[in-house]
Amino acid sequence: MSLVRRACLPLIPVLIGVLALAAGCTGTGSADDYPAWNLTLAGDQERVLTHPELRALPAAEGYGYSVSTVGIKYGPNRYRGVLLADLIEMAGGAGTDDLIYVSAEDGYLWVFDRDQVNGKEFFTFDENLREVTPPPLRVILAYEQDGKPLAYEDGGPLRLVVISENSDVITEGSSWVKWVDRIEVHRK
Amino acid sequence: MNRSPALAVLVLAVFAASAGCTDTGSERTTLMVIPAGSLLAPLEDIEAAFESQHPEIDVRIEGHGSIQAIRQVTDLRREVDVVLVADASLIPDMMYLPMSEGEGNYTDWYVPFAGNEVVVAYTGRSAGADEITAENWYRVLSRPGVRVGFSNPMLDACGYRAIMVTALAEEHYGEPGLFEAVIGGSFNPPITAVRTDGITTIALPERMRPADEKVAVRDGSIYLLSLLDAGGIDYAFEYRSVAEEHGLRWIDLPPPINLGSAEHADDYRRVHVNLGFQRFRSIGSERIGQPIVYAMTVPRNAPHPDEARMFVDFVLDAFREGKAGWPDPVRPDPEAATVYHATD
Repeated sequence: MSLVRRACLPLIPVLIGVLALAAGCTGTGSADDYPAWNLTLAGDQERVLTHPELRALPAAEGYGYSVSTVGIKYGPNRYRGVLLADLIEMAGGAGTDDLIYVSAEDGYLWVFDRDQVNGKEFFTFDENLREVTPPPLRVILAYEQDGKPLAYEDGGPLRLVVISENSDVITEGSSWVKWVDRIEVHRK
Repeated sequence: MNRSPALAVLVLAVFAASAGCTDTGSERTTLMVIPAGSLLAPLEDIEAAFESQHPEIDVRIEGHGSIQAIRQVTDLRREVDVVLVADASLIPDMMYLPMSEGEGNYTDWYVPFAGNEVVVAYTGRSAGADEITAENWYRVLSRPGVRVGFSNPMLDACGYRAIMVTALAEEHYGEPGLFEAVIGGSFNPPITAVRTDGITTIALPERMRPADEKVAVRDGSIYLLSLLDAGGIDYAFEYRSVAEEHGLRWIDLPPPINLGSAEHADDYRRVHVNLGFQRFRSIGSERIGQPIVYAMTVPRNAPHPDEARMFVDFVLDAFREGKAGWPDPVRPDPEAATVYHATD
């Protein structure tokens, strides 16, 4: 064994440790890293779902790619979560004219109509931000991004995401509510 | 060979390799600047000029709507050096408040630096392009087959300003029904401009979803410009600077309705827009007409306050010189920049 190799061998655990520390900036994590977070569903009655309870519900997956009001693109990423339509059903369903208020820990609120809950009436764009005919879209309350728990800086633990089967379909980011903690059906 | 220096070198090398995820320019000061969307083009020019004079500073520009720009500091607690908004009143309304962490308000001052006005932008292919004038624009836009776009008032100040301009036009031209013909009638139920005791109030629905193809509502100005290019709409309510920057044609509207004249502030104040819901807990849902004034401030918790002040001065100088496609300097006198303090 050369002098250099002998010198480097004891360093391997140190380097592994350093790399592990540095890895924090890339957002790795395991399923055990899901934080404590509750979602309040308010419809005919009010109920609270814990994060594990949400993750136990049937899940939907797809690509999400959003753009801000000034044209900054975020994505594409692969998302996994619960269909908003399923959550609305759990809240007692929504009529044609009812509105869905989705609000967040930071005081943000966005309102959806029932068509949007079912993936309709969104505008979609190509990479050059030209409008394109929307493909089938679904709206989920996402808890996973690219196979990892959705990070807080990305709007986690729960974020509303518009997904499709195509990685190049961009949707308006205004409806991608971050840090969702309440979904409420407003009867009309 | 002593093992300790070798270990140090290797560890340093690994840290250097991983440094990309935390800070790419440790030798330069990173100045975080958050402007309103309609300032992005001027700020790109200003950033380049500022960095050439101050190579030790790396200016990072991140555009947002004006309210969201302020919320980066207040609700989202990000460390921001300079905030520039398209509605000066938002700074005292949202930032002259105690910080959630630390002592004092988020800021106690702002400096207005530019103004703008709402225009009707169009292209040579727009329906009625060969006949529209500053005198007949509202008649052209009222035609059923002419498509009109504006940005979502929930998301963009230019959106609720488009609503205000159209309501003011109805009164200015003495044309009852103008507001409904251009905008309101395309919604179900129709959006109406209601006059009570000298105040015109427009109550918007929660969802700004037109019921026909005459009106198009998009999240922001850039999407309207794209629609104009593609022929998806014929006319868009835009800021004059945005229309000019993008090489569009536009109709200048009269000062009593274009929200660009301080002399008509009392007229503008008579129009109120009630947004369909309170999007942010930190600001209400009523918008009252007033002259369009851009303003900036340095948050109290800015990480680099000295460099931020230098940048503010640089922006003031740049806007005093002005440029085609930029908002107009707020005052022609270069020595007349006024700083408004919390005690004013």
